[in-house]
Amino acid sequence: MTCEPEHPLHWKWIMNKDLLNQIPADEQRIASTLYSMGEDMKVSPNFEWELETQLIDAAITRTQPVEGWHTKILAPMGWVLFAICSVYMLNWIVRSLPPEQPTAGSASSPEISFESNVRAGNICKGTLAASHNFSVSLTNQNKTGFVTLDEHETIGELRSFSWSPNGQQLAIVGNTTGQGNIYLTDSASNILQPVLSNSEVGYMMGVTWSQNGDRLIAWGLQNKATVYLFNKDGTGFTALDLPVEIFETPQFAPGNESILFYGADSSFDGLFQAMVNGSQLRMISNLVEDEASFAWSPDGSRLAYMEMDRNLGEARLVLEEFDKGGKVVIASLPIPKGSGSSIPSSANLIWSPDGKALVFEFGRGITDRAIYLAYADGTGLVKLADSAHAPAISADGNCLAYISNKQVFLMDLTSTPLSSTTAPSMLLANLPVGRSIAAFQLDKLAWGSGTNPAPRQP
Amino acid sequence: MTTLMNIQTPYPSMDDARLAHRARADPEAFAELYHRHVKSVYRYHLAHTGNVKDAEDLTSQTFMAALEGIRSYRGTGPYITWLMGIASRKRSRFFRGNRLEVPLDAALHIPTPSLPTDKAAARRLQMDQVLNALRNISRDRAEAVILCFFCELNFVEAGLVLGKSEAAVKMLISRGLHDLRTRTSLALEVDYE
Repeated sequence: MTCEPEHPLHWKWIMNKDLLNQIPADEQRIASTLYSMGEDMKVSPNFEWELETQLIDAAITRTQPVEGWHTKILAPMGWVLFAICSVYMLNWIVRSLPPEQPTAGSASSPEISFESNVRAGNICKGTLAASHNFSVSLTNQNKTGFVTLDEHETIGELRSFSWSPNGQQLAIVGNTTGQGNIYLTDSASNILQPVLSNSEVGYMMGVTWSQNGDRLIAWGLQNKATVYLFNKDGTGFTALDLPVEIFETPQFAPGNESILFYGADSSFDGLFQAMVNGSQLRMISNLVEDEASFAWSPDGSRLAYMEMDRNLGEARLVLEEFDKGGKVVIASLPIPKGSGSSIPSSANLIWSPDGKALVFEFGRGITDRAIYLAYADGTGLVKLADSAHAPAISADGNCLAYISNKQVFLMDLTSTPLSSTTAPSMLLANLPVGRSIAAFQLDKLAWGSGTNPAPRQP
Repeated sequence: MTTLMNIQTPYPSMDDARLAHRARADPEAFAELYHRHVKSVYRYHLAHTGNVKDAEDLTSQTFMAALEGIRSYRGTGPYITWLMGIASRKRSRFFRGNRLEVPLDAALHIPTPSLPTDKAAARRLQMDQVLNALRNISRDRAEAVILCFFCELNFVEAGLVLGKSEAAVKMLISRGLHDLRTRTSLALEVDYE
């Protein structure tokens, strides 16, 4: 869907083209009407003038220093007092420290050992991919930093990515002026190759691979009830129309005959399953509310998803034996009750490679979001990291990568007991700055296989 | 009394974050920020209160609070999202204070002298319907619609204000527009011109 110059609200469409391009076609008219209404909400010139005057006066008053003998003497006195207190405090801390004990056994602490093993490539092998601020990057060979793909920004924005099942090739969603395409990394050079030759799918949101790595499924915003299926060489392109809107990138179910996605029909939103020929739509759970809140177990036998039960006031991590239909709750967290309440969100639900545990993030904002690990047998729920998001477990199951404060950390998942206070962590690298500000929920980390060639150094 | 009304500030091309940093000590920098964003803040409050007087009062409170707290803006996100966060808190406090939401009436300021009276009246009626409908749909959806369409924030910025992902905001917008279309009957099908 593109802007049509003959539309009666043409000037509005031009003015807000980027925004309107991201709105489904059938809602664009009402969106334009709302814009026009906004334009009519004019600030009264008198009010604007008076408030500005008040603000300027207040600002001038605030910025004028108060000259007086007490202000001149107070600052130096404060500094002297601060210095005296600091000396006393330092003295007290030094005296209260226990005498240093000689370390038994190895001279290195467990943290250093974990870091050394990572740097030496003994554990956590494979390339870690990161998407942040509309760019995608890969760790360098020594895992000391990231190398950004499409450095020259030939593509407008790189929104998200997905590793192929063998972990050797990345499918990346790229958008340039509202037109999206899927790009694959070349296994030798990481140059991005467009998959669709004549892309008219509008702004693309996400892509995932079929479980045999032959096909891709993608979705965009121009028509939210349509998913696009195609072979990885771009052939066999099919637009599949569904009777529901899609709000998150679909995933193939084992066998590749059906897809699962978070979406909504006219009555409910939730987790849906649809056959790839468009038939047999069914809702798996109407309590799934968030994106990236479902995941298949590595052997494809179980589906995990997070339910938000607002009536009971709890978020439940559910495992479903997909063929047999049995459901079991393996962990729960409290949420506010009531349908109108604002609840925390969960995201990035992933399985450990051995299928024994799941990791996910849960919380409201970026600072009060934590990463949890739930054992698949229901024996426990462990908070692994505070103020952290975008968890990713390495292929060998030894490392948990996560983002905290714009830095990427690795945690030793083999440590016992496993908790946020005991598990050794190391700083891997700062996140690349990216292209423009994106919500932190778009941040994503994922590990490729150990055999993936590392990208060239810049 | 000092006023900068209609005076070109010296920072027309400086971005918001740098302006906000400068505004700690420079009233003119704050004035430039005020000029850039007063429209969004005012519209936000007008959409919520439906009343010009309350909207102006809350707009004043928002900018006064922004001036007082300008040092707490660290530049980690867009300035407009920080400002709209203040506006959101002022709005919450306003409605928490047992003040009923004022019914829409002729207080809406729609200066359309060039329009025929019947068209202006129809316009006012339509806006009345929409703002009333916004109060009756889910709070998150209404907030997303107001931020994106009245305050002209993009999805990412609205997400930062609401503490939600860009995709979640898009979902809220989609649902909100659908709700508005059903609740305002045919009102929005008529061209708003």
